[in-house]
Amino acid sequence: MASRRKKIRVTVNGELYEKEVSPATSLLDFLRLELNLTGSKEGCGEGECGACSIILGERLVDACLILAVEADGQKIQTIEGISSKGRLHPLQKAFAEKGAAQCGYCTPGMIMAAKYLLDRNPSPTSDQVVQAISGNLCRCTGYGSIVEAILLAAREQ
Amino acid sequence: MKVVGQAHSRVEILEKVTGQSVFGADVRLPTSFLFGAVLRSPHGHARIKRLDTRKAERVPGVKAVVTAQDFPPVRYGRFIWDQEYLARTKVRYVGDLVAAVAAVDENTARRALDLIEVDYEVLPSVTDALEALRPDAPFIHEEYEQYKAAAMAVGRKGNICFHKETVVGDVESAFREADRVFEHRFHIPMVHQTYIEPHTVLARVDATGKVTVWVPTQAQFFLRSSLAEIFQLPFIKVRVIPTEIGGGFGGKMLPTVEPAAVALARKGGMPVQIVMSRAEDFQTANPRHPCYARYKTGVKLDGTLVARDVELVLGTGAYCGNGLVICVRAEMLAIGPYRIPNVKIDLSAVYTNHADCGPYRAPAGPQLAFASESQIDLIARELGLDPVEMRLKNLIEDGDETPASGGPLSDVHGKETLRRAAELAQWGTGSRQKNRGRGVALGYWLVGGMASSAGVKLNEDGTVTVMTGIIDLSGTVTSLGQIAAEVLGVDLADVHVRTADSDFAPHSTISAGSQGLRSMGTATKLAAEEVKKQILQVAADKLEADSSDLVLEGKRVFVRGSIEKGLSLGQVAMLSMTHKRGPIVSVQSTPPFPNQPAFSAHVVDLEVDPDTGKLTLLRYVASQDVGTAINPLSVAGQVQGAILQGLGQAMSEACVFANGKMLNPTFLDYKIFSSLDAPKIEVHLVERASEAGPFGAKGIGEPSLIPAPAAIANAIYDAVGVRICELPLTPERIFGALQQQNKSR
Repeated sequence: MASRRKKIRVTVNGELYEKEVSPATSLLDFLRLELNLTGSKEGCGEGECGACSIILGERLVDACLILAVEADGQKIQTIEGISSKGRLHPLQKAFAEKGAAQCGYCTPGMIMAAKYLLDRNPSPTSDQVVQAISGNLCRCTGYGSIVEAILLAAREQ
Repeated sequence: MKVVGQAHSRVEILEKVTGQSVFGADVRLPTSFLFGAVLRSPHGHARIKRLDTRKAERVPGVKAVVTAQDFPPVRYGRFIWDQEYLARTKVRYVGDLVAAVAAVDENTARRALDLIEVDYEVLPSVTDALEALRPDAPFIHEEYEQYKAAAMAVGRKGNICFHKETVVGDVESAFREADRVFEHRFHIPMVHQTYIEPHTVLARVDATGKVTVWVPTQAQFFLRSSLAEIFQLPFIKVRVIPTEIGGGFGGKMLPTVEPAAVALARKGGMPVQIVMSRAEDFQTANPRHPCYARYKTGVKLDGTLVARDVELVLGTGAYCGNGLVICVRAEMLAIGPYRIPNVKIDLSAVYTNHADCGPYRAPAGPQLAFASESQIDLIARELGLDPVEMRLKNLIEDGDETPASGGPLSDVHGKETLRRAAELAQWGTGSRQKNRGRGVALGYWLVGGMASSAGVKLNEDGTVTVMTGIIDLSGTVTSLGQIAAEVLGVDLADVHVRTADSDFAPHSTISAGSQGLRSMGTATKLAAEEVKKQILQVAADKLEADSSDLVLEGKRVFVRGSIEKGLSLGQVAMLSMTHKRGPIVSVQSTPPFPNQPAFSAHVVDLEVDPDTGKLTLLRYVASQDVGTAINPLSVAGQVQGAILQGLGQAMSEACVFANGKMLNPTFLDYKIFSSLDAPKIEVHLVERASEAGPFGAKGIGEPSLIPAPAAIANAIYDAVGVRICELPLTPERIFGALQQQNKSR
């Protein structure tokens, strides 16, 4: 069942990639296996846990639910691209400071969901933060430290 | 203390927040690797009549197909050797492993699985533990008498893989003499650990036959021993390299897909990665034991407990797995942390046709506390007593023991822990509001500790490296660094501590049972103290001083009172290396630890919507007895996380079965708490330095999960007067109970 491969052009974290992919490849597999950007995680493959949250164009998406070919021509931000020139993003600093990452598996997706919020709403309320990360499951922290970290990052940025 | 007791970010935190951490599925090798997938039984119980893999083998891109024929003919196990890794003649649950395929990509591997032909003779199956006890129940292990079993596996018969009766005093006489006797039955269904990272492995077999696996495991030395047993290899031929682990909660200690990947890598001649799907993980990866409990309790009118008769039936699943650890725990926890002179505990673990159950954070804890603490609450209300006061009246103290506690207990802070939660929650105050209620429950846990060893070395520049094989789940590794830093008078930033693999790490305990820090921290402290002794000896010679006059502080060693007369740690290290004893290094061991009690108390305020049964948590207050908090940031994180997991088990989580199959193996249908569900949790740490932990630390990871289900159930009763004895306390169950209440009025 050799499906015909398609060429796509995507800009990931500011870098342009031209690659041939199978039409069945998810954007998450493309990032993780083709580009070796393993920061985005797979927790369920069904769009329920948010561990693969990335920013695609102007949308926050679960990369496991998007096909790589759908991203053709678009800009993508992943966890690997949010610190600039070795300087951590305020969210990364705040997550470290507040103990908002324990096992750390949900952390990249959680930070991307939080970044998507702060890019659009630089000073969110606590309730808005809770809403913004409601698609990202965490089994370690109880969420309190994550909400605190996002509010701290909003103040510091 | 300068480093111990301070809040520190975890040492690996920057890798985590930047996405650099390498979890199980992130491992990459210089050579390419194959993708593996396993064929699992679609039946709960069946005989394999025919297995034909020829079509699968012919699929282009398939590099290896393995069946039981590719494994040594041995059964493995931890307590009962009742499991063949791939089924030879019989499958015993939906998901039992039958065969595995490795191919150039995952789709090809999965397509090949579909071409494996298996003829099954389907047998009657049973997933309910009480049904499995009936004389006409399907017999799950006909050959059980031939199995090798550990001495602790007592009372095996038919589907019963463990049965033990514990008797203290005379319960029957005590019931006759009691003022009141209460008897209730409880049912706690299976729940799953639900770490966000599924089980994953990458396996390689080299030209010498040496097996290397990269695995997110909580117990690398357990896994090494399981793989050595399954493949009949000496331990030096098995190397487990632990990756960063995306949550475990007890669920990542027993082998799942690792042996399949090893067999495929061996046969296919290339490394093989297997990543379990979420559904596979839910259906097959050692969930928490479902439990039936009957509690009969005799009391005096003043609330004094005089007798407790507890009957427990745990469904252990298709294989015993780690089941007997949970049985031992159940015996310890059954009656709760109370002084009760007459006790009977009848405890069975029963084979059933679902996945073998394993340890899950505080194994047996929440099941038994839900039953025990619900009943204590019920009794208090029946007798017109305050539920907090009734608990205080009966709680154990220093010098008391409970069944299977292993002797008199010390460091017992149950009363203080309960009082603190009650005070913080202003227990006994506030006016009654319709449909609002308040509940209290107490969690009791005994933390032991397995043997461990740790190494500490002083590097040539005066920095320190801690060598350990403990897996970092809860921040343990950071705390080990703090302990070494404290002993050696350096900053945490001067210490490198990360988990080494099974070939290179000193033998380390598992990251489970709240005992990692107690055990590894003690070994690390001993090793650091030995290194300190060596430093002082070398410095004493050079400085021509007595080592007892030397001070080790601020990365220097100097003569007390004259700070300028000293050496940097780097100078000491180099001096020792070139002129004295050689490199400064020590590896130290600790034997197993006796049990130590740990308590957690929860007080919850909630509101019940009588039209829907929906709960709103208004306030959640928790206290936990933690000894010295080595790293308060980690401790607070553990307590908060444990409570939320407990609330999931209380209010929404359950594995639902029909015809032997789990019906809800997705995050959509198996509902763990999201940020929208999480209440704000107020945590108070009761810090009383323990006599038997490094710098006074106690085990902290598990206790706060335990009381949550009972606290919610007790608050529901307080709010609307219905007593629900089955988890989870979902809106539909609460609504149903309210309907019943209306009918019977």
